[in-house]
Amino acid sequence: MEAKVLTEHYDKDEYRFLDGYKKHGGYQMLEQAFKMQPKDIVEQVKSAGLRGRGGAGFPTGVKWGFLPDNGEPRYLVCNADEGEPGTFKDRLMMERAPHQLIEGMIISAFATGSHKSYIYIRGEYNYPAEVVKQAIDEAYKAGLLGKNILGSGFDHDMDIYLGAGAYICGEETGLLSSLEGKKGQPKLKPPFPAIKGYLGKPTIVNNVETLAAVIYILRDGVEGYRKFGTEKSAGTKLFSVSGNVVKPGNYEVPLGYPLMDLINNECGGLKPGRKLKAVIPGGSSAPVLTAQECLDATMDYECLAQKGSMLGSGAVIVMDDSNCMVDSLSVLMHFYHHESCGQCTPCREGTGWLNKIVHSIAKGEGRLQDIDLILKVAENMKGRTICALSDAAALPAISFVSKFRDEFEFYVREGRSKVKGVSYAEM
Amino acid sequence: MPKCNINGKEIEVKEGTRLIDAFKEAGEDIAHYCYHPGLSVAGCCRLCMVEIEGNPRLQIACNTTVQDGMSVSNESPAVKDAVKWGLDFHLINHPLDCPICDQAGECELQIQYMKFGKYDSEMAEPKVKKHKVVDLGPKIVLDTERCILCSRCVRFTDEVSKTHELGIFNRGDRSEIGTHENKPLDNNYAINTVDICPVGALTSKDFRFRQRVWYLKNSETICNGCSTGCSVKTYYNEEGLFRVKPVHNEDVNGYWMCDFGRDIYKYANKEVRIQNPELNSEDITIDQAITEFESRLKSIDKSKTAVVVTGQQTVEEYESFLGYLKENSINQVYHWINNPDSFEDFDGLLIRGDKNPNTKGLLEVMDKNGFNKPWSELTSKLESNEIEHIIVVAPENVEMYPDMDEKVQMFSKAKQLTWLGTVKNDNINDLKIPMKSFVEKSGTFVNYEGRRQNFKKVTVIVKNAICLTDMVSYLKNKTLEIDNSPEHYKRKMNYFTQVRGGL
Repeated sequence: MEAKVLTEHYDKDEYRFLDGYKKHGGYQMLEQAFKMQPKDIVEQVKSAGLRGRGGAGFPTGVKWGFLPDNGEPRYLVCNADEGEPGTFKDRLMMERAPHQLIEGMIISAFATGSHKSYIYIRGEYNYPAEVVKQAIDEAYKAGLLGKNILGSGFDHDMDIYLGAGAYICGEETGLLSSLEGKKGQPKLKPPFPAIKGYLGKPTIVNNVETLAAVIYILRDGVEGYRKFGTEKSAGTKLFSVSGNVVKPGNYEVPLGYPLMDLINNECGGLKPGRKLKAVIPGGSSAPVLTAQECLDATMDYECLAQKGSMLGSGAVIVMDDSNCMVDSLSVLMHFYHHESCGQCTPCREGTGWLNKIVHSIAKGEGRLQDIDLILKVAENMKGRTICALSDAAALPAISFVSKFRDEFEFYVREGRSKVKGVSYAEM
Repeated sequence: MPKCNINGKEIEVKEGTRLIDAFKEAGEDIAHYCYHPGLSVAGCCRLCMVEIEGNPRLQIACNTTVQDGMSVSNESPAVKDAVKWGLDFHLINHPLDCPICDQAGECELQIQYMKFGKYDSEMAEPKVKKHKVVDLGPKIVLDTERCILCSRCVRFTDEVSKTHELGIFNRGDRSEIGTHENKPLDNNYAINTVDICPVGALTSKDFRFRQRVWYLKNSETICNGCSTGCSVKTYYNEEGLFRVKPVHNEDVNGYWMCDFGRDIYKYANKEVRIQNPELNSEDITIDQAITEFESRLKSIDKSKTAVVVTGQQTVEEYESFLGYLKENSINQVYHWINNPDSFEDFDGLLIRGDKNPNTKGLLEVMDKNGFNKPWSELTSKLESNEIEHIIVVAPENVEMYPDMDEKVQMFSKAKQLTWLGTVKNDNINDLKIPMKSFVEKSGTFVNYEGRRQNFKKVTVIVKNAICLTDMVSYLKNKTLEIDNSPEHYKRKMNYFTQVRGGL
């Protein structure tokens, strides 16, 4: 069953404008936040168990706690570079409720003591960027941004920054490089951004959904927020469901919601006559789940981790029996090869190698040993690089090949797809 | 001082030491490409993988600081496998250029493959094609296919030369090193990028295709290109010198040297050198030459004899030669400064305006002997024909003496000119005695800050050449012992005997 916390008023057109947003309780929590001590807000976010909604699921309050107390200026950056294939929730949030993001950001900035924030929006999101820009202008005019916000004595400036469409700029240090005007390449860690981030200063990078959720932690309190979700995965989450379902789209459900319910109830199930084959539960980087594994899967961090996959950004890609796994993997490998920044050797060369092997198979030119080679190459790309893109390419490759090995072997032996009957080259 | 255990060896290192340096201190091999101690850490080659006790994930040693009590190993099967695969990722798209690649023989890919790799590649797909023979500027050629994108050269131009010419363009396995349009790689330190390039991607136009590196020997010396006195290594064989590379010396030049210093070998090679003593353009023997020189010293009035010296010889030579002059009451010794206007210049990194390696040393010895006559005195005396015999201890690095022709014309006003030089000069027809270049003698240079640096003889290029010390000892003892029995001739004979014997 859907649990609309963040998305409660998304159906109302007026919600995207300041007046409409205020009419539905907007910016009340900001006023309340200003009456609190910043460290209490951090504590509250920590106790509420809010975890980063961008993909890694790192506890937000803990991240904020890493900021050093050295008097250096701090930056808050909103990661709206939603690049994970299958994810489209941040876009909806920015288009429907830009003020929700702004309010969440001001509260977070107040809690972390930063006076400047940036919203880094992916290059393709022209329209959402326009909506957010307009909302920022409104907020400035209403004294919600700038000097002495609402008479609290807290100053905060906010800007948007448009990326140029690189997937790697969704990785927080890659994003910071890009924001600094450099080539979008992840930075070596440590130091982590909370210590040395944007322009070498302490920086917090949070996802759109994470920052918006802060408002509701203040509104409902720790108890109220924890009403939804599980012990380790508190609250609600937006899931972007795509693929072979009747009603694809964004759905806000409590964490821990059964995957099959999400598919069958919210999304109207599969198309008639089709059988579920596989689901990628957390964006294209997450290892794929077989139909069998989906039966008892719940949408929370711990269950999916236990199944060897991850919740990621919450992009659920549903594949029915009309999908050829070899073709699907070749699309994914093309993507990661194209998007690798090329900094670390295992990723730069490995993504290219995997792409070539998978495409050789899909062209009907594969060798049987290529199947094991995919596993070996991917295994050696995992955990060997500066950022997680290498893992993001390796994990789907390993899961596709090991879980649907028969399709790969059929493709190599017959030179054509087991599902579609023809090869990729003939299509 | 944190203590750590590296592959079972307990060592103590300085606070803040990087793990990779601790491995080197412990004498343990560790594979790496992108790390260079003189540059920032990039951490992108991912080869210096180590296993740190208590950490389930392999870590890179270059970005890890040694903590007290750390126990680290790179000998476990997991690390070895990671390094092997790391190497394979470097090599899958690397062209099989070794037979035509100038780096072969000193290529880190070859070296590290032999140390850590030795496997059969499983790569069956076509390799990525990239640009070859890319002209980066007047000094350097780039082969982007051979490049392993370690980014050392980019970091060098960003951090050391601060000229920012290089960058990595494009992404993924299409990435290529390159320069911006109309901004070639042309700075005074550019060739350092060739040295730090671990593979054959960046090659020096001056050196490429001139010698296979395994036919070269090398020996350390001090650069005689300016008063900084960088520690350098010269590469040579029986045909002469071929190139100069910097040697790490934290006190003087760090890991680098300037591009002017790269050319110093050119003034020591046979082609440009005075091969035989000459008197009025006729070849004579070295004994005849020194006898002639001695008779000039004796027959001409001391007050009509002048000596010109530059800061290009060793302290030992100055001591014996200037001491000899003093003993013989020849007091008109003048210091030739090549570029008085820019003598004090300094570019902030290594290059100094004083283009002599031993000006300090010369001044010390001149002071000791009480020689302090101004240059203008020599000029006016030559003008008024008061000098009959002028002895010029000529500079070696003639490139740094733009006033050479003008000065030679001036010196020629004296009736007799004795030219003690290394490099040919057709404008001089009097007595010429071939001198040893800096690679043919041992001695001491005193650099701009007064640091005394000793260096050893590298090789013999001109058999008849002598140095000032040899000459003074001849003048005093009438015996001449020129050390012209180069070891490498013997070695070469051995080499051929061995090869033929082997056949």
